[in-house]
Amino acid sequence: MIVKSLIAAATGLALTGAASAQLSDAGDPEAFARELQSTEPDPAGSAGADPWEGFNRKMFAFNDAVDGAVFVPAAKVYRATTHKKQRKGIRNFLANARAPLILINDLLQGEFERAGETAGRFVVNTTIGFGGMGDPAERMGIPQHSEDFGQTLAVWGASPGPYVVLPFFGPSSVRDGFGAGVDTLLDPVFWISTTPARHTSYSRAGVTLVSVREPLIEPLADIKTNSLDYYASFRSFYMQARKREIANGRTNFDDLPDFGDFDEFDEFEDTEETEENK
Amino acid sequence: MLATTKPLPLGLAPLLAVIAWMSGVTPAAADAAAEAYVQGVLNEAEPILSETDEDALYDGLATLVDNYVDMRRVGLFTLGQYARKMTDEQKAEYLPLFKTYATQIYQNALSNYSGQKLAVRNSIDRSARDIIVNSKIVDAQPGDQFGDITVHWRIYRNRSGKMVVVDAGADNVWLAIEQRSQFTSVIANNGGGAKGIDALLAQLREQVGE
Repeated sequence: MIVKSLIAAATGLALTGAASAQLSDAGDPEAFARELQSTEPDPAGSAGADPWEGFNRKMFAFNDAVDGAVFVPAAKVYRATTHKKQRKGIRNFLANARAPLILINDLLQGEFERAGETAGRFVVNTTIGFGGMGDPAERMGIPQHSEDFGQTLAVWGASPGPYVVLPFFGPSSVRDGFGAGVDTLLDPVFWISTTPARHTSYSRAGVTLVSVREPLIEPLADIKTNSLDYYASFRSFYMQARKREIANGRTNFDDLPDFGDFDEFDEFEDTEETEENK
Repeated sequence: MLATTKPLPLGLAPLLAVIAWMSGVTPAAADAAAEAYVQGVLNEAEPILSETDEDALYDGLATLVDNYVDMRRVGLFTLGQYARKMTDEQKAEYLPLFKTYATQIYQNALSNYSGQKLAVRNSIDRSARDIIVNSKIVDAQPGDQFGDITVHWRIYRNRSGKMVVVDAGADNVWLAIEQRSQFTSVIANNGGGAKGIDALLAQLREQVGE
């Protein structure tokens, strides 16, 4: 119960702060368009969208240490003790259990067609999909998608606010961190206080953790090995992927950064040509 | 379901061009030449991706990247605002280092598609010289990890009409954009300017093992 009160309190606190700080642009379509266009932090890589870089880097290092000491070993045990098909079933089950929350957010975003897909998937997968272990809805051509309250706030016009790395939860923004708190409160299981329900909550959180981390063991290790600045690399991947999620797949590529403005690069091209001509 | 792109009946294309011209708008359109160019690259990639020997796979991918990716242009892009601040000496050292580094990244990324075949689906022109071509795995099986992923290619067409690859991405996450974020961060966090660029060069040297 203490944990729940804390989450509720933190969410409430974030709400007041976030409301004054983040919703100032709310409802301004131009501000929303501008936000969608700025995937990247300031080209300088620091100020702009990541004014809390100092704090974030410390938190990122902390998370990385916890990840290496606890999450990755747990994910490896999970991989060693389960079969690929079982893991797929568990992923499906967890995704299906999130469907009510996704449905609420679909509706809050006015995405009625996607809400219909979410509801349809939930019914099909919970019944003929053996309680969600299978995904017959996918085969029937009802694609899966995810939503959360942070995305809903984005659609409503809230700007993300600074990039922030939360302890244990990882990269987020002020808006999305607040959204995650609301999602916790929207989850029906959160409000049931019987012992089995509590155990269900904890097991679900634990299994979600290893289930999400397991397929990422190699990709994240690769990114870490290949990057000069793991923090900046992760931030960019996160921001790019997050923008795609918020746009619900309707990206039009107009908002990509220009490949240098062409004048500048033509100049380089000219230099190159003259060098070659020498 | 995604519609497969069918070539327009020949007679229709000029008509559409006239309509577009009369209406005075230039909407984002497909670029058949860029699509054909990428399909050519993907055709060349197919036997490489079917290599079972890892060394042959990586060597093949390196050659492919060397032939089609304009590493000079990408390398300058990834420096962001610092591209103009580099001295000629720094640039002479940076460009080969970047090429080695970025080739490794491409090799890792593309080796994920080992055993698969990619085919062009469609394209969107950001401008006449900056085109996004989208591709997907052909005949993806339900269990394929990357079965639903769209692989993007960003094509730059220079003034003489020659095309090159300047970026690649998966589901709207782009490699060069991520690299630019890293590089500018390294430079900025090491004092910016010439000092920051030297720090980037040192880290790149270490990363590529030189």
